[in-house]
Amino acid sequence: MQGLIFLVVAATSGFAAVRLVTNKNLVHAALYLVVTLMGMAIIFLLLTAEFVAWVQVLIYVGAVIVLLLFGLMLTRAQIGKTALDRQQRWVAGPVALVLFGVTAPVLWRFFDGRTISLDRQSGNTEALGTEIFTKFVLPFEVVSVLLLAALVGAVFLAKKD
Amino acid sequence: MPDGYFGSYLTLAIYSLAMIGLVGGTLGLNRLVSPKVPGKEKMTTYESGVDPIGSGQSQTTIRYYMFALLFVIFDVEAVFLFPWAVVFEEIGVFAFVEMMIFVAILALGLLYAWRKKVLDWI
Amino acid sequence: MDVNFEALLPELLLTLVACGVMTIDLFLPKEKRGLAFPLAFIGVLATLAAVLNLYGQNLTTLDGMFVVDRFAVIFKIIFCVAALLVFAVSQAYLNDDKDVPHGEYYTMMLFSLLGMLTIASSRDLIAIFVALEMISLPAFILAGIRKYDIRSNEAALKFFLFGVLSTALMLFGMSLFYGLTGATNLADISAGLAGRTDIDEVALLAILFLIVGFGFKVSAFPFQWWVPDTYEGAPIPVAAFLSVASKTAGFVGLFQVMFLGLGELADMWRPMFAVIGIVTMTFGNLVAIQQKQIVRLLAYSSIAQAGYMLVPLGVASATDGALNTQIIFSVVAYLLVYAFMETGAFAAATAFGRKTGKYLIEDYAGLFGRSPALAVAMAAFLFSLAGIPPFAGWWAKFVIFKTLIEGDGLVLAVIMALNTVIAMFFYLAVVKKMFVDKSEDTAAIAMPRSLAGAIGIAAIVITVGGFLPNLFGQLAENANFF
Repeated sequence: MQGLIFLVVAATSGFAAVRLVTNKNLVHAALYLVVTLMGMAIIFLLLTAEFVAWVQVLIYVGAVIVLLLFGLMLTRAQIGKTALDRQQRWVAGPVALVLFGVTAPVLWRFFDGRTISLDRQSGNTEALGTEIFTKFVLPFEVVSVLLLAALVGAVFLAKKD
Repeated sequence: MPDGYFGSYLTLAIYSLAMIGLVGGTLGLNRLVSPKVPGKEKMTTYESGVDPIGSGQSQTTIRYYMFALLFVIFDVEAVFLFPWAVVFEEIGVFAFVEMMIFVAILALGLLYAWRKKVLDWI
Repeated sequence: MDVNFEALLPELLLTLVACGVMTIDLFLPKEKRGLAFPLAFIGVLATLAAVLNLYGQNLTTLDGMFVVDRFAVIFKIIFCVAALLVFAVSQAYLNDDKDVPHGEYYTMMLFSLLGMLTIASSRDLIAIFVALEMISLPAFILAGIRKYDIRSNEAALKFFLFGVLSTALMLFGMSLFYGLTGATNLADISAGLAGRTDIDEVALLAILFLIVGFGFKVSAFPFQWWVPDTYEGAPIPVAAFLSVASKTAGFVGLFQVMFLGLGELADMWRPMFAVIGIVTMTFGNLVAIQQKQIVRLLAYSSIAQAGYMLVPLGVASATDGALNTQIIFSVVAYLLVYAFMETGAFAAATAFGRKTGKYLIEDYAGLFGRSPALAVAMAAFLFSLAGIPPFAGWWAKFVIFKTLIEGDGLVLAVIMALNTVIAMFFYLAVVKKMFVDKSEDTAAIAMPRSLAGAIGIAAIVITVGGFLPNLFGQLAENANFF
């Protein structure tokens, strides 16, 4: 059952991802990005990574996409069907295909058949929380300073004066 | 009601599909069944009864972007508060102090935004 | 959960300093904005004192994630000293350029320095990744800090786009190593990889992804395309900071991951580094010959220098601890010398540029007649970069040659020697311009004391280091894991 849902969601995400990079309309591209990210969130849910899934929805879909759309609005990006700079796609396409063609079989051959057991009673929020606040304290605090630096830098760059 | 982790999400999924189906179905039915007589006046932008003047795009101010930017940063902070709340009791004072440091550092960020007049709505 | 605050003291102090500088700058009136410099400078001095206090100790805290050993302390010292030199150079630059805000500039540099101090002590993939982000993000802002200058915007955009793509690929590689071993701590990964034979393909792929990320940081080929445009568009002190401190941080992360985490797989990554090192140095040197602008010349030369530092990894061994120690010694020695000579070269370029507003090599003609001290200092830095005695750069190259030969990398040594000869061509061209050619303009180049001090200290260090290389040698010897 989970396998079936995974296939459907993964196919939708993959299709949306392809449409995202081949689209001419930037706002449509942002909306396809929403579909891709929601697909990722559902895949996280299937792996009982409940917290990560909802973080994905809250931050990525909730905040980042909004920021992206505001950026499109502010820079008056072409929201019509005008062509963007697409001469690179003849190089980019094959490169992406090669990367996929190398990575996917290697990962498949190694990880095929290996399983891990998932906790089917609750998501992993508690386990993740324990890890963050005991083992990974240093990255957690560094992340807080990183967020501060990002805030200061971004506000400085964006404000009008 | 199925229980357990997957059970509860299955319930959520069924409800979501029902919701999408309901909304999509009614809109689709509308599109199929309703008569279509497009007219020139019907396609103009609605502007409370008067004729619209000017172009469709307004002068977008930077204000909205700044708020969205602040929202991203503080959303990440809020997201870290959720697992903290779950494990707070087990870990005790150590987790409390950590989180207070985290919040204090980001409060400095808020102070920065305040002093740079980013929070002014006018 | 043990937390050894003594081990964390430098980082905690620096966080306080950075936040303090930022907050105080918010409340200063416009005239007093220059206060950020002395605050930042004294703060880094205090941090350096805290680091020196830890010298010789061996502390592990936070369950093995944060380690203070000699390797970490030596690099923290390099980072702090490089930061102090860059601050001194920045002060002169910022006083001239009204567009750049003092508070944000120093705050970003302090945050970046914090990331560098953290990465020197990190022994866990996640800590290394977060520290690398901590280094890069303020650097993106610093590259674009001249908001209304289009070249600065271009520099920041190119740097940012390259940076996040490379970091994303590196993270994917790190996640693959987690998938292989179930651990993120470098020691646990090493234990998990020992003796396994089924992982070759996945490990190779993961190493390639890691090299993308670290290669971007150390400006290795083919990840170096951002370097010339970013160094040219960003303010020159920022270019100096990126070239010295950011690159060193990349090497630190690279060493930790490759030697501590992936030591067993040395046979796999050794040829990659050999090839990348050779191509990087050749590319950097060949393209530098055609440069007409001093900052671009220094940018390509720094790419080549990164190549010199990557080649020793091309002789690493999975089993021979003594050889690995020698490799780390040689690269640390080179980084120590490189920090001074590169900062010095950029500082001299800043000094010349701020008074004359000119950055073309043509404009350096006859500098010896105008400002003999500046010309001599610049010549010292260029000779040192080229590897000409009696400056410290010669000794640093010699140590690398020695390591290559000891590790049976004769081909690598020969190619590196050829590259050194090619590089002399453009380094000496600038020196010739300064000493031999005449110019019409005869005004002397005045500079504030901080800038003169930075140039002077760097020049003295590399000269003394050339005559007494043991000073550097002893420091570098301490920096090893084994």
